[in-house]
Amino acid sequence: MRTALIGAGAIARQHLACLQTLPDVELAAICDLSPATAEAAAERFGIGAWFTDHRAMLEEIRPDVVHVTTPPTSHFRLAMDAFDAGAHVLVEKPATTTYEELETLARRAQQAGRHLVEDYNYVFNRAPQEILRRIQCGEFGAVTHVEVLICLDILGPSGFADPNATHPALTLAGGAIADFLPHLASLAYAFVGPCQRAQTVWGKRKPSPLPFDEFRALVDGERGTASLGFSSSSQPDAFWLRVYGERMQATANLFETRLTFDGPRNVPRPLRSFFSGLEEGRTVRRAAVATLLRKFKGPGAYEGLWELLARTYRALREGADLPVAANDVIEVNRMVEAFKPTEQQPA
Amino acid sequence: MRALVTGANGFLGRHVVSALLERGVEVRAMVRPAAHLETLGWPSSVDVFRADLRTSRDLARAFEGVDVLIHLAAVVSGAEEAQFAGTVAGTERLLDAMAASTCQRLVLCSSFSVYNYSATRRTLNEDSPLHDVRDLYTRDGYTIAKWWQERVTRRYAEMHGWDLTVLRPGFIWGRDHGYLSALGQQLRRHHLVIGPRTRIPMTHVENCADVFALAAVDPRACGQTLNVVDGPGERIWRYLSDHMRGSGQWGWRLPIPYWLAIWSVRLAAVTVFRRATKVPSILVPRRLESRLKPLRFENNRLRETLGWTPRLGYRECLARTYGPARPVAHR
Repeated sequence: MRTALIGAGAIARQHLACLQTLPDVELAAICDLSPATAEAAAERFGIGAWFTDHRAMLEEIRPDVVHVTTPPTSHFRLAMDAFDAGAHVLVEKPATTTYEELETLARRAQQAGRHLVEDYNYVFNRAPQEILRRIQCGEFGAVTHVEVLICLDILGPSGFADPNATHPALTLAGGAIADFLPHLASLAYAFVGPCQRAQTVWGKRKPSPLPFDEFRALVDGERGTASLGFSSSSQPDAFWLRVYGERMQATANLFETRLTFDGPRNVPRPLRSFFSGLEEGRTVRRAAVATLLRKFKGPGAYEGLWELLARTYRALREGADLPVAANDVIEVNRMVEAFKPTEQQPA
Repeated sequence: MRALVTGANGFLGRHVVSALLERGVEVRAMVRPAAHLETLGWPSSVDVFRADLRTSRDLARAFEGVDVLIHLAAVVSGAEEAQFAGTVAGTERLLDAMAASTCQRLVLCSSFSVYNYSATRRTLNEDSPLHDVRDLYTRDGYTIAKWWQERVTRRYAEMHGWDLTVLRPGFIWGRDHGYLSALGQQLRRHHLVIGPRTRIPMTHVENCADVFALAAVDPRACGQTLNVVDGPGERIWRYLSDHMRGSGQWGWRLPIPYWLAIWSVRLAAVTVFRRATKVPSILVPRRLESRLKPLRFENNRLRETLGWTPRLGYRECLARTYGPARPVAHR
């Protein structure tokens, strides 16, 4: 399968490192507006050709799959061109800047008989996948509620809040936090299904170029409820996922490998919390070691991206169902749309 | 003569501006939009041009009336991709703007990091081997970005027929920049001194700035690639002692022979870290070599080409780095 990639920035490196390990994938070409950036990526990952014009690349290479890893404002145009060239598209989140664009893109994919896959990498991390496995086999019980809270300091001077260069994400409704909404929405969707209604609170605690630095949402999903949040001020950095089922509860930090379950146990009721605590302590200690060791090797917190790409390419090869289906992309983006602020700046 | 200086308010840049003014060169100082310049004490004759090489659209205006570009700007910290985007893609944007101007002369600030220390024997000079693309991407982000910056600049210069001078400074030190990564490994306030008798390829920021100003005005610099070090360099143990004394720090210093350190790291690389892809630099043999390999360092070509000798001796440099701050005086 011939693969090409547009946009050779930070996240592209994770895509390329993973693609190098997949069977039957030929890294055919890479494109970036900066010739040196494209050439350096081609040299590093042994890519056959590099371009600065994506249309020239699509025409010359005729790839089967195109990865779009540019800033979000250019995704729509590039993905449309890739569909026109007959390729499947794997696009970084957020796939588009508006829901209308997403609908247009999905329609175009359907007309072309190609697939549109948006990167919901955290859904494919080991912890959410293990929780989903236990739900599917009935061990967990039906999910009643899910909490997702990203605590991440994005107010430093070298990223979203760079005072010298406006970050592309700041043009999105919601600013930098909009870059994280697909993570929140995709996890909520995976556990409680499509959004029926949502209430949101957007806030700003600290002075910065960002329009908002805090976000909370309460979602009424088809199969349960979800409370989602993003906090720039809460420290340390963490990505908490907590799932409440009728028989079990699960807690994970997706920036680490920590995953604990609490459920029924075969001990007298007064001792349940004691044995739960002991087991949780053991699990957290093991996860601490695993988190340390994974710093030396592999994709780290991007493990889900590697898993998503591996499953997507396997499905494309075998003509099977994709891990992220067209309807999933529509529903996640419908939820993201429901989160968007109605005003750009809080009072 | 008018010079455009990028990164003009940086550690080296502010001294280059002073050195150019001393030589009677008019200066256009390119600084980032949010840069604070109040403490620099620049005279009103310095023409400040605010732009960010990563994003600014109108860089061509910066070259109006400019005779020589002194390109110092680089992103020296942060993620590897951010360093590459800021340093290399930024240089492409800058040189695209230069190509649309009448400016034909360029002095680039490269780095000792472009040299392949592992393949260098005994003496490192301008003829020493550079990294090749097979091993470049095992290096740190700074090295990759500076190597690519030099590569890109040479391509542009060749394509447009520009007069290019590439200056490769060693470790630049000075006030508030006394601690060098060549000093080994700091553990809180204590130090593992790897190869205490190894000499450091160092240049004091004022001496280094003097070379840049000289290269900008002296036609003998055209077409040259020159290493910038003040001399053979101080030994690590001595410089670390002076640094700790000067900065009032206290801590233990544990000397470790270089051969012991490099063989330990090599052993770890083929055992403990055999499959590891993300290891701290000090534990990667090639990266350890590029910081600490005991070599001799020369500035013969710089002396012979431009007749340059450092204005400030080591003692005077120490005094300027750790002594009372001197008021900035510009002509």
